[in-house]
Amino acid sequence: MSKSMIPVRVASVRDVAPKIREFRFTAVDQALPAFSAGSHVMVEMQGAEKTYRNAYSLMSDPADISSYGIAVRLQDESRGGSVFMHTQVQEGDVLNIAPPANLFAPHWAAKKHILIAGGVGITPFMSYLPEMKRRNADFELHYLYRSAQTGAYRQQLSEALGEKYFSYDSDHGQQCIVHQLLAQLSPGAHVYICGPESLIEAVKTEAATLGIPAGIIHYEEFAAPKPGKAFTVSLASSGQQIAVDGESSMLEALEEAGVEVANMCRGGVCGQCVTGVKEGIPEHRDDFLSAAEKASGQCVMPCVSRAVTDSLTLDL
Amino acid sequence: MQTNADKPELTLNPGVKSRPQYPPVSLNPAAQCQVFIARKNTTGDKAGALLKPLMDEAEKSEKSLNIIPLVVGEDGDVISMSQLPQTISSLPLASSFYLAGTEAFIWDVAKLICEAGFIMEQVHLLPPVNNERRLFCTHCYAITEPVTHSPAVCSGCGRHLLVRDHFSKIHRAYVGVQIDAEDPADLPEESEELC
Ligand code: FES
Repeated sequence: MSKSMIPVRVASVRDVAPKIREFRFTAVDQALPAFSAGSHVMVEMQGAEKTYRNAYSLMSDPADISSYGIAVRLQDESRGGSVFMHTQVQEGDVLNIAPPANLFAPHWAAKKHILIAGGVGITPFMSYLPEMKRRNADFELHYLYRSAQTGAYRQQLSEALGEKYFSYDSDHGQQCIVHQLLAQLSPGAHVYICGPESLIEAVKTEAATLGIPAGIIHYEEFAAPKPGKAFTVSLASSGQQIAVDGESSMLEALEEAGVEVANMCRGGVCGQCVTGVKEGIPEHRDDFLSAAEKASGQCVMPCVSRAVTDSLTLDL
Repeated sequence: MQTNADKPELTLNPGVKSRPQYPPVSLNPAAQCQVFIARKNTTGDKAGALLKPLMDEAEKSEKSLNIIPLVVGEDGDVISMSQLPQTISSLPLASSFYLAGTEAFIWDVAKLICEAGFIMEQVHLLPPVNNERRLFCTHCYAITEPVTHSPAVCSGCGRHLLVRDHFSKIHRAYVGVQIDAEDPADLPEESEELC
Protein backbone atom coordinates (compact mmCIF):
# COMPACT_ATOMS: atom_id res chain seq x y z
CA MET A 1 0.00 0.00 0.00
CA SER A 2 1.17 3.49 -0.75
CA LYS A 3 -0.29 4.87 2.46
CA SER A 4 0.51 3.40 5.81
CA MET A 5 -2.41 1.50 7.20
CA ILE A 6 -3.77 2.08 10.69
CA PRO A 7 -4.90 -0.87 12.78
CA VAL A 8 -8.26 -0.28 14.49
CA ARG A 9 -10.29 -2.33 16.93
CA VAL A 10 -13.95 -3.00 16.28
CA ALA A 11 -15.42 -1.55 19.47
CA SER A 12 -19.05 -2.17 18.65
CA VAL A 13 -21.29 -3.65 15.99
CA ARG A 14 -25.00 -3.00 15.76
CA ASP A 15 -27.79 -3.18 13.22
CA VAL A 16 -29.23 0.21 12.40
CA ALA A 17 -31.57 -0.88 9.60
CA PRO A 18 -32.62 -4.29 8.25
CA LYS A 19 -29.67 -4.32 5.82
CA ILE A 20 -27.32 -1.80 7.42
CA ARG A 21 -24.84 -2.54 10.14
CA GLU A 22 -22.87 0.10 12.01
CA PHE A 23 -19.29 -0.45 13.15
CA ARG A 24 -17.35 1.67 15.66
CA PHE A 25 -13.58 1.62 15.45
CA THR A 26 -11.17 2.66 18.18
CA ALA A 27 -7.41 3.04 18.19
CA VAL A 28 -5.13 0.07 18.79
CA ASP A 29 -1.65 1.55 19.16
CA GLN A 30 -1.80 4.86 17.33
CA ALA A 31 -4.35 7.64 17.79
CA LEU A 32 -6.98 7.99 15.09
CA PRO A 33 -6.19 10.93 12.79
CA ALA A 34 -8.47 13.95 12.67
CA PHE A 35 -10.86 14.09 9.72
CA SER A 36 -13.17 16.59 8.12
CA ALA A 37 -16.88 16.27 7.35
CA GLY A 38 -17.45 14.09 4.28
CA SER A 39 -14.28 11.99 4.66
CA HIS A 40 -14.07 8.30 4.00
CA VAL A 41 -11.69 5.52 4.96
CA MET A 42 -10.68 2.45 3.06
CA VAL A 43 -11.16 -0.69 5.11
CA GLU A 44 -9.10 -3.77 4.42
CA MET A 45 -10.75 -7.13 5.06
CA GLN A 46 -8.78 -10.33 5.05
CA GLY A 47 -11.13 -12.89 3.57
CA ALA A 48 -10.30 -16.56 3.34
CA GLU A 49 -9.63 -16.37 -0.38
CA LYS A 50 -8.79 -12.78 -0.97
CA THR A 51 -8.40 -9.38 0.58
CA TYR A 52 -11.27 -6.95 0.16
CA ARG A 53 -10.77 -3.22 0.24
CA ASN A 54 -13.82 -1.01 0.37
CA ALA A 55 -14.19 2.73 0.94
CA TYR A 56 -16.75 3.79 3.55
CA SER A 57 -17.79 7.27 4.61
CA LEU A 58 -17.05 8.19 8.19
CA MET A 59 -20.39 8.84 9.83
CA SER A 60 -19.21 10.03 13.19
CA ASP A 61 -18.76 13.60 14.41
CA PRO A 62 -15.44 15.04 13.16
CA ALA A 63 -15.05 16.77 16.53
CA ASP A 64 -14.85 13.41 18.28
CA ILE A 65 -11.95 11.24 17.18
CA SER A 66 -12.10 8.87 20.11
CA SER A 67 -13.75 6.54 17.62
CA TYR A 68 -14.71 6.32 13.94
CA GLY A 69 -18.10 5.12 12.78
CA ILE A 70 -19.00 3.52 9.47
CA ALA A 71 -22.24 1.95 8.29
CA VAL A 72 -22.25 -0.86 5.77
CA ARG A 73 -25.17 -1.91 3.65
CA LEU A 74 -25.33 -5.56 2.76
CA GLN A 75 -25.15 -5.38 -1.03
CA ASP A 76 -27.32 -7.75 -2.98
CA GLU A 77 -24.67 -8.18 -5.64
CA SER A 78 -21.76 -7.93 -3.28
CA ARG A 79 -18.43 -9.17 -4.46
CA GLY A 80 -17.69 -10.03 -0.89
CA GLY A 81 -16.75 -6.88 1.00
CA SER A 82 -20.11 -6.06 2.51
CA VAL A 83 -20.91 -9.73 3.12
CA PHE A 84 -17.61 -10.05 4.95
CA MET A 85 -18.37 -7.00 7.09
CA HIS A 86 -21.83 -8.35 7.91
CA THR A 87 -20.95 -11.96 8.59
CA GLN A 88 -17.31 -12.09 9.67
CA VAL A 89 -16.48 -8.92 11.56
CA GLN A 90 -17.15 -9.00 15.28
CA GLU A 91 -16.52 -6.84 18.31
CA GLY A 92 -12.90 -7.04 19.38
CA ASP A 93 -11.58 -7.81 15.90
CA VAL A 94 -8.72 -5.75 14.53
CA LEU A 95 -8.96 -4.39 10.97
CA ASN A 96 -6.61 -2.20 8.97
CA ILE A 97 -7.83 1.07 7.53
CA ALA A 98 -6.19 3.73 5.37
CA PRO A 99 -6.12 7.22 6.90
CA PRO A 100 -9.21 9.32 6.11
CA ALA A 101 -9.38 11.18 2.82
CA ASN A 102 -12.03 13.64 1.75
CA LEU A 103 -13.56 13.86 -1.71
CA PHE A 104 -16.91 15.18 -0.54
CA ALA A 105 -16.33 18.18 1.69
CA PRO A 106 -19.13 20.74 2.07
CA HIS A 107 -18.65 24.09 0.35
CA TRP A 108 -18.71 26.19 3.45
CA ALA A 109 -19.14 29.41 1.50
CA ALA A 110 -22.60 28.27 0.35
CA LYS A 111 -25.56 30.19 1.72
CA LYS A 112 -27.63 27.03 1.98
CA HIS A 113 -26.81 23.33 1.83
CA ILE A 114 -29.32 20.86 0.41
CA LEU A 115 -28.36 17.33 1.42
CA ILE A 116 -29.97 14.48 -0.49
CA ALA A 117 -29.32 10.99 0.86
CA GLY A 118 -30.43 7.73 -0.70
CA GLY A 119 -30.40 4.71 1.65
CA VAL A 120 -26.96 4.10 3.12
CA GLY A 121 -25.93 7.35 1.40
CA ILE A 122 -26.95 9.00 4.66
CA THR A 123 -23.50 8.20 6.08
CA PRO A 124 -21.38 11.15 4.88
CA PHE A 125 -24.14 13.52 6.00
CA MET A 126 -23.96 12.07 9.50
CA SER A 127 -20.53 13.72 9.70
CA TYR A 128 -21.77 16.91 8.00
CA LEU A 129 -24.64 17.53 10.39
CA PRO A 130 -22.82 18.18 13.68
CA GLU A 131 -20.40 20.44 11.80
CA MET A 132 -23.24 22.32 10.10
CA LYS A 133 -24.87 22.88 13.48
CA ARG A 134 -21.65 24.18 15.00
CA ARG A 135 -21.19 26.59 12.12
CA ASN A 136 -24.82 27.61 12.18
CA ALA A 137 -25.07 26.74 8.51
CA ASP A 138 -28.44 26.76 6.80
CA PHE A 139 -29.31 23.31 5.51
CA GLU A 140 -32.03 20.80 4.70
CA LEU A 141 -31.73 17.04 4.72
CA HIS A 142 -33.81 15.05 2.25
CA TYR A 143 -33.62 11.37 3.10
CA LEU A 144 -34.89 8.77 0.63
CA TYR A 145 -34.99 5.19 1.83
CA ARG A 146 -36.87 1.91 1.84
CA SER A 147 -37.83 1.13 5.40
CA ALA A 148 -37.80 -2.61 4.72
CA GLN A 149 -34.05 -2.40 3.98
CA THR A 150 -32.50 0.94 4.82
CA GLY A 151 -33.52 4.13 6.62
CA ALA A 152 -30.93 4.02 9.40
CA TYR A 153 -31.00 6.77 12.04
CA ARG A 154 -34.25 8.28 10.80
CA GLN A 155 -35.80 8.57 14.25
CA GLN A 156 -32.75 10.30 15.62
CA LEU A 157 -32.47 12.58 12.58
CA SER A 158 -36.08 13.62 12.67
CA GLU A 159 -35.80 14.51 16.36
CA ALA A 160 -32.54 16.37 16.00
CA LEU A 161 -33.32 18.29 12.83
CA GLY A 162 -37.02 19.10 13.13
CA GLU A 163 -38.24 21.10 10.16
CA LYS A 164 -34.90 20.79 8.39
CA TYR A 165 -35.62 17.10 7.93
CA PHE A 166 -37.64 15.63 5.05
CA SER A 167 -38.05 11.91 4.68
CA TYR A 168 -39.37 9.80 1.84
CA ASP A 169 -40.01 6.12 2.49
CA SER A 170 -40.58 4.51 -0.87
CA ASP A 171 -41.81 1.34 0.86
CA HIS A 172 -44.71 3.53 1.95
CA GLY A 173 -45.16 5.17 -1.41
CA GLN A 174 -43.56 8.47 -0.40
CA GLN A 175 -41.80 10.08 -3.33
CA CYS A 176 -39.33 12.89 -3.46
CA ILE A 177 -40.19 15.18 -6.36
CA VAL A 178 -36.72 16.25 -7.40
CA HIS A 179 -38.10 18.90 -9.74
CA GLN A 180 -39.90 20.69 -6.91
CA LEU A 181 -36.93 20.41 -4.65
CA LEU A 182 -34.58 22.02 -7.18
CA ALA A 183 -36.99 24.57 -8.63
CA GLN A 184 -37.27 26.39 -5.31
CA LEU A 185 -33.53 26.84 -4.78
CA SER A 186 -32.11 30.33 -4.70
CA PRO A 187 -28.60 31.59 -5.52
CA GLY A 188 -26.03 30.48 -2.98
CA ALA A 189 -27.58 27.04 -2.54
CA HIS A 190 -25.35 23.99 -3.02
CA VAL A 191 -26.72 20.49 -3.46
CA TYR A 192 -25.01 17.33 -2.20
CA ILE A 193 -26.14 13.87 -3.16
CA CYS A 194 -24.96 10.57 -1.81
CA GLY A 195 -26.75 7.48 -2.93
CA PRO A 196 -27.25 5.16 -5.86
CA GLU A 197 -26.29 6.23 -9.35
CA SER A 198 -29.96 6.49 -10.35
CA LEU A 199 -30.60 9.14 -7.71
CA ILE A 200 -27.52 11.12 -8.67
CA GLU A 201 -28.50 10.95 -12.35
CA ALA A 202 -32.07 12.04 -11.59
CA VAL A 203 -30.87 15.13 -9.74
CA LYS A 204 -28.27 16.02 -12.37
CA THR A 205 -30.75 15.65 -15.21
CA GLU A 206 -33.39 17.73 -13.46
CA ALA A 207 -30.84 20.43 -12.65
CA ALA A 208 -29.77 20.60 -16.29
CA THR A 209 -33.39 20.92 -17.41
CA LEU A 210 -33.98 23.74 -14.96
CA GLY A 211 -30.82 25.56 -16.06
CA ILE A 212 -29.19 25.15 -12.66
CA PRO A 213 -25.40 25.24 -13.01
CA ALA A 214 -23.75 21.83 -12.71
CA GLY A 215 -21.11 23.32 -10.41
CA ILE A 216 -23.49 23.57 -7.45
CA ILE A 217 -24.40 19.88 -7.62
CA HIS A 218 -21.93 17.72 -5.71
CA TYR A 219 -22.20 13.99 -5.38
CA GLU A 220 -20.47 10.94 -4.10
CA GLU A 221 -21.09 7.46 -5.22
CA PHE A 222 -18.98 4.61 -4.07
CA ALA A 223 -19.85 2.29 -6.84
CA ALA A 224 -18.28 -1.01 -6.03
CA PRO A 225 -16.38 -2.19 -9.09
CA LYS A 226 -18.70 -4.33 -11.15
CA PRO A 227 -17.62 -7.76 -12.33
CA GLY A 228 -16.78 -8.46 -15.95
CA LYS A 229 -14.91 -10.91 -18.10
CA ALA A 230 -11.51 -12.16 -17.01
CA PHE A 231 -8.38 -10.78 -18.65
CA THR A 232 -4.64 -10.60 -18.16
CA VAL A 233 -2.55 -7.61 -17.20
CA SER A 234 1.10 -7.44 -18.13
CA LEU A 235 3.51 -4.98 -16.60
CA ALA A 236 5.60 -3.11 -19.14
CA SER A 237 8.62 -2.87 -16.85
CA SER A 238 8.99 -6.50 -15.85
CA GLY A 239 6.79 -8.40 -18.25
CA GLN A 240 5.01 -9.91 -15.24
CA GLN A 241 1.59 -11.36 -16.11
CA ILE A 242 -1.27 -10.98 -13.66
CA ALA A 243 -4.63 -12.65 -14.14
CA VAL A 244 -7.71 -10.58 -13.31
CA ASP A 245 -10.65 -12.87 -12.65
CA GLY A 246 -14.19 -11.80 -13.44
CA GLU A 247 -15.03 -10.94 -9.84
CA SER A 248 -11.91 -8.93 -8.98
CA SER A 249 -11.03 -5.43 -10.07
CA MET A 250 -7.77 -4.77 -11.88
CA LEU A 251 -6.57 -2.80 -8.84
CA GLU A 252 -7.33 -5.70 -6.52
CA ALA A 253 -5.50 -8.13 -8.79
CA LEU A 254 -2.47 -5.83 -8.92
CA GLU A 255 -2.46 -5.45 -5.14
CA GLU A 256 -2.85 -9.17 -4.70
CA ALA A 257 0.29 -9.58 -6.84
CA GLY A 258 2.14 -7.10 -4.68
CA VAL A 259 2.09 -4.23 -7.19
CA GLU A 260 1.46 -0.86 -5.57
CA VAL A 261 -0.87 1.56 -7.27
CA ALA A 262 -1.84 4.81 -5.55
CA ASN A 263 -5.55 4.89 -4.83
CA MET A 264 -8.07 6.70 -2.73
CA CYS A 265 -11.74 6.31 -3.66
CA ARG A 266 -11.58 2.91 -5.35
CA GLY A 267 -14.70 4.00 -7.18
CA GLY A 268 -13.41 5.71 -10.31
CA VAL A 269 -13.84 9.31 -9.20
CA CYS A 270 -10.72 10.64 -7.49
CA GLY A 271 -8.15 10.10 -10.22
CA GLN A 272 -5.44 8.76 -7.91
CA CYS A 273 -5.03 5.40 -9.57
CA VAL A 274 -4.57 6.61 -13.16
CA THR A 275 -2.20 4.26 -14.98
CA GLY A 276 -0.72 4.38 -18.47
CA VAL A 277 -1.71 1.78 -21.04
CA LYS A 278 0.92 0.52 -23.49
CA GLU A 279 -1.04 -2.13 -25.33
CA GLY A 280 -4.58 -3.43 -25.44
CA ILE A 281 -7.90 -1.60 -25.24
CA PRO A 282 -9.29 -0.59 -21.87
CA GLU A 283 -12.98 -0.80 -21.04
CA HIS A 284 -13.48 2.47 -19.20
CA ARG A 285 -15.95 2.47 -16.32
CA ASP A 286 -14.77 5.50 -14.37
CA ASP A 287 -16.10 9.02 -13.90
CA PHE A 288 -12.69 10.62 -13.87
CA LEU A 289 -11.17 10.54 -17.35
CA SER A 290 -12.59 12.86 -19.99
CA ALA A 291 -14.26 11.41 -23.06
CA ALA A 292 -11.18 12.33 -25.10
CA GLU A 293 -8.83 10.63 -22.65
CA LYS A 294 -10.99 7.54 -22.69
CA ALA A 295 -11.05 7.49 -26.46
CA SER A 296 -7.26 7.80 -26.64
CA GLY A 297 -6.93 4.54 -24.74
CA GLN A 298 -3.65 5.73 -23.26
CA CYS A 299 -4.66 5.55 -19.63
CA VAL A 300 -7.02 3.62 -17.42
CA MET A 301 -8.41 3.74 -13.88
CA PRO A 302 -7.72 0.21 -12.61
CA CYS A 303 -9.97 0.58 -9.55
CA VAL A 304 -13.11 0.15 -11.69
CA SER A 305 -12.15 -0.27 -15.33
CA ARG A 306 -11.38 -3.48 -17.16
CA ALA A 307 -10.20 -4.57 -20.60
CA VAL A 308 -11.96 -5.11 -23.90
CA THR A 309 -8.99 -7.08 -25.19
CA ASP A 310 -7.82 -10.31 -23.57
CA SER A 311 -4.79 -8.58 -22.22
CA LEU A 312 -3.75 -5.10 -21.24
CA THR A 313 -0.15 -3.93 -20.91
CA LEU A 314 0.19 -1.30 -18.21
CA ASP A 315 2.94 1.25 -17.83
CA LEU A 316 3.96 -0.13 -14.46
CA MET B 1 13.67 32.70 1.82
CA GLN B 2 12.55 32.65 -1.69
CA THR B 3 11.10 29.55 -3.16
CA ASN B 4 11.50 28.60 -6.75
CA ALA B 5 7.84 29.11 -7.30
CA ASP B 6 8.12 32.75 -6.23
CA LYS B 7 11.06 33.62 -8.37
CA PRO B 8 9.38 34.67 -11.58
CA GLU B 9 7.22 37.03 -9.55
CA LEU B 10 10.24 39.00 -8.52
CA THR B 11 11.94 39.35 -11.84
CA LEU B 12 11.07 42.33 -13.96
CA ASN B 13 9.93 40.10 -16.69
CA PRO B 14 6.56 41.06 -18.09
CA GLY B 15 6.67 37.91 -20.17
CA VAL B 16 5.37 35.85 -17.26
CA LYS B 17 1.81 35.55 -18.36
CA SER B 18 -1.03 35.00 -16.02
CA ARG B 19 -3.50 37.13 -17.82
CA PRO B 20 -7.09 36.01 -17.96
CA GLN B 21 -8.10 34.38 -21.21
CA TYR B 22 -11.32 35.38 -22.90
CA PRO B 23 -12.43 32.51 -25.09
CA PRO B 24 -15.43 33.04 -27.37
CA VAL B 25 -18.70 33.23 -25.45
CA SER B 26 -21.78 31.35 -26.52
CA LEU B 27 -25.28 31.59 -25.18
CA ASN B 28 -26.33 29.09 -22.55
CA PRO B 29 -29.99 28.59 -23.48
CA ALA B 30 -30.61 26.26 -20.52
CA ALA B 31 -30.68 29.21 -18.14
CA GLN B 32 -34.15 30.66 -17.72
CA CYS B 33 -32.84 34.14 -17.09
CA GLN B 34 -30.33 35.72 -19.49
CA VAL B 35 -28.64 38.74 -17.97
CA PHE B 36 -26.57 41.12 -20.11
CA ILE B 37 -24.51 43.65 -18.23
CA ALA B 38 -22.55 46.36 -20.03
CA ARG B 39 -20.65 49.39 -18.94
CA LYS B 40 -22.16 52.55 -20.37
CA ASN B 41 -19.59 53.84 -22.77
CA THR B 42 -19.05 57.48 -23.60
CA THR B 43 -16.94 56.76 -26.66
CA GLY B 44 -19.04 54.50 -28.81
CA ASP B 45 -20.85 51.45 -27.51
CA LYS B 46 -18.32 48.68 -27.94
CA ALA B 47 -19.63 46.75 -24.94
CA GLY B 48 -23.17 46.85 -26.31
CA ALA B 49 -21.94 45.69 -29.70
CA LEU B 50 -20.21 42.69 -28.12
CA LEU B 51 -23.40 41.65 -26.36
CA LYS B 52 -25.74 42.29 -29.27
CA PRO B 53 -25.35 38.98 -31.12
CA LEU B 54 -25.88 37.03 -27.89
CA MET B 55 -28.99 39.03 -27.03
CA ASP B 56 -30.35 38.53 -30.53
CA GLU B 57 -29.81 34.81 -30.20
CA ALA B 58 -31.54 34.76 -26.81
CA GLU B 59 -34.51 36.59 -28.27
CA LYS B 60 -34.80 34.13 -31.13
CA SER B 61 -34.67 31.09 -28.85
CA GLU B 62 -37.82 28.98 -28.97
CA LYS B 63 -37.72 28.74 -25.20
CA SER B 64 -39.22 31.89 -23.79
CA LEU B 65 -36.17 33.18 -22.00
CA ASN B 66 -36.28 36.05 -19.59
CA ILE B 67 -33.88 38.62 -21.07
CA ILE B 68 -32.54 41.28 -18.73
CA PRO B 69 -30.27 43.97 -20.17
CA LEU B 70 -28.51 46.12 -17.57
CA VAL B 71 -26.42 49.13 -18.48
CA VAL B 72 -24.21 50.35 -15.68
CA GLY B 73 -23.26 54.00 -15.43
CA GLU B 74 -23.78 57.14 -13.43
CA ASP B 75 -26.59 58.97 -15.24
CA GLY B 76 -30.26 58.65 -14.55
CA ASP B 77 -31.15 56.31 -17.41
CA VAL B 78 -28.91 53.50 -16.27
CA ILE B 79 -28.25 51.45 -13.16
CA SER B 80 -25.39 52.47 -10.89
CA MET B 81 -22.72 50.10 -9.66
CA SER B 82 -24.01 50.47 -6.11
CA GLN B 83 -27.52 49.37 -7.12
CA LEU B 84 -26.23 46.33 -8.95
CA PRO B 85 -25.90 43.94 -5.99
CA GLN B 86 -29.55 44.34 -5.09
CA THR B 87 -30.67 43.74 -8.65
CA ILE B 88 -28.44 40.70 -8.99
CA SER B 89 -29.59 39.13 -5.76
CA SER B 90 -33.20 39.27 -6.93
CA LEU B 91 -32.40 37.02 -9.91
CA PRO B 92 -33.19 33.29 -9.93
CA LEU B 93 -30.56 30.59 -9.54
CA ALA B 94 -31.06 29.54 -13.17
CA SER B 95 -29.45 32.69 -14.55
CA SER B 96 -26.65 33.13 -17.03
CA PHE B 97 -24.63 36.36 -17.05
CA TYR B 98 -22.80 38.00 -19.95
CA LEU B 99 -20.51 40.89 -19.07
CA ALA B 100 -18.89 43.47 -21.33
CA GLY B 101 -16.83 46.55 -20.62
CA THR B 102 -13.35 47.32 -19.41
CA GLU B 103 -11.46 44.46 -17.83
CA ALA B 104 -11.71 45.94 -14.32
CA PHE B 105 -15.46 46.44 -14.78
CA ILE B 106 -16.23 42.89 -15.89
CA TRP B 107 -14.25 41.42 -13.01
CA ASP B 108 -15.89 43.80 -10.51
CA VAL B 109 -19.31 42.71 -11.70
CA ALA B 110 -18.27 39.04 -11.69
CA LYS B 111 -17.33 39.45 -8.04
CA LEU B 112 -20.72 40.97 -7.20
CA ILE B 113 -22.44 38.09 -8.96
CA CYS B 114 -20.45 35.52 -7.00
CA GLU B 115 -21.11 37.34 -3.75
CA ALA B 116 -24.81 36.97 -4.48
CA GLY B 117 -24.28 33.19 -4.49
CA PHE B 118 -23.92 32.46 -8.20
CA ILE B 119 -20.84 30.60 -9.44
CA MET B 120 -18.31 31.49 -12.15
CA GLU B 121 -19.74 28.77 -14.39
CA GLN B 122 -22.73 31.11 -14.83
CA VAL B 123 -20.64 34.17 -15.65
CA HIS B 124 -19.41 34.77 -19.20
CA LEU B 125 -16.82 37.47 -19.74
CA LEU B 126 -16.52 39.07 -23.16
CA PRO B 127 -13.09 40.34 -24.18
CA PRO B 128 -12.30 43.70 -22.56
CA VAL B 129 -13.29 46.63 -24.78
CA ASN B 130 -9.91 48.39 -24.53
CA ASN B 131 -6.40 48.08 -23.15
CA GLU B 132 -7.08 49.98 -19.92
CA ARG B 133 -5.78 48.22 -16.88
CA ARG B 134 -6.29 48.63 -13.19
CA LEU B 135 -2.93 48.62 -11.46
CA PHE B 136 -2.24 47.41 -7.96
CA CYS B 137 0.94 48.73 -6.36
CA THR B 138 2.75 45.96 -4.51
CA HIS B 139 4.53 48.58 -2.39
CA CYS B 140 1.77 50.84 -1.07
CA TYR B 141 -1.28 48.78 -2.19
CA ALA B 142 -2.85 51.76 -3.91
CA ILE B 143 -4.94 51.29 -7.01
CA THR B 144 -4.22 53.33 -10.12
CA GLU B 145 -6.58 53.30 -13.05
CA PRO B 146 -6.89 53.47 -15.92
CA VAL B 147 -3.37 52.58 -16.93
CA THR B 148 -2.48 52.13 -20.60
CA HIS B 149 1.32 52.42 -20.52
CA SER B 150 4.14 50.80 -18.64
CA PRO B 151 5.83 51.96 -16.55
CA ALA B 152 3.08 53.89 -14.82
CA VAL B 153 3.23 56.27 -11.90
CA CYS B 154 1.51 54.91 -8.77
CA SER B 155 -1.29 57.20 -7.61
CA GLY B 156 -0.48 56.31 -4.02
CA CYS B 157 3.29 56.49 -3.58
CA GLY B 158 4.44 58.00 -6.87
CA ARG B 159 6.77 55.12 -7.64
CA HIS B 160 7.30 54.14 -11.24
CA LEU B 161 5.70 50.77 -11.61
CA LEU B 162 6.35 48.18 -14.21
CA VAL B 163 2.94 46.86 -15.22
CA ARG B 164 3.26 43.12 -15.08
CA ASP B 165 1.09 40.73 -17.03
CA HIS B 166 0.05 39.10 -13.81
CA PHE B 167 -3.63 39.71 -13.09
CA SER B 168 -4.55 39.26 -9.45
CA LYS B 169 -8.10 37.95 -9.13
CA ILE B 170 -8.20 39.05 -5.51
CA HIS B 171 -7.49 42.69 -6.35
CA ARG B 172 -8.99 42.37 -9.82
CA ALA B 173 -5.98 44.33 -10.98
CA TYR B 174 -2.59 43.92 -12.58
CA VAL B 175 0.38 43.87 -10.29
CA GLY B 176 2.84 46.75 -10.49
CA VAL B 177 6.40 46.56 -9.17
CA GLN B 178 8.88 49.40 -8.83
CA ILE B 179 11.08 49.63 -11.87
CA ASP B 180 13.67 52.15 -10.68
CA ALA B 181 14.58 50.70 -7.34
CA GLU B 182 18.22 51.77 -7.65
CA ASP B 183 17.56 55.43 -8.19
CA PRO B 184 13.95 56.59 -7.86
CA ALA B 185 14.87 59.95 -9.35
CA ASP B 186 15.96 58.32 -12.57
CA LEU B 187 12.97 58.37 -14.87
CA PRO B 188 12.73 55.51 -17.29
CA GLU B 189 13.01 56.63 -20.85
CA GLU B 190 10.81 54.23 -22.68
CA SER B 191 7.16 53.87 -22.08
CA GLU B 192 5.49 50.94 -23.66
CA GLU B 193 1.88 50.88 -24.67
CA LEU B 194 0.07 47.97 -23.11
CA CYS B 195 -2.00 45.56 -25.09
S1 FES C 1 -8.84 5.11 -6.84
FE1 FES C 1 -9.99 6.87 -7.23
S2 FES C 1 -10.22 6.77 -9.37
FE2 FES C 1 -9.26 4.92 -8.93
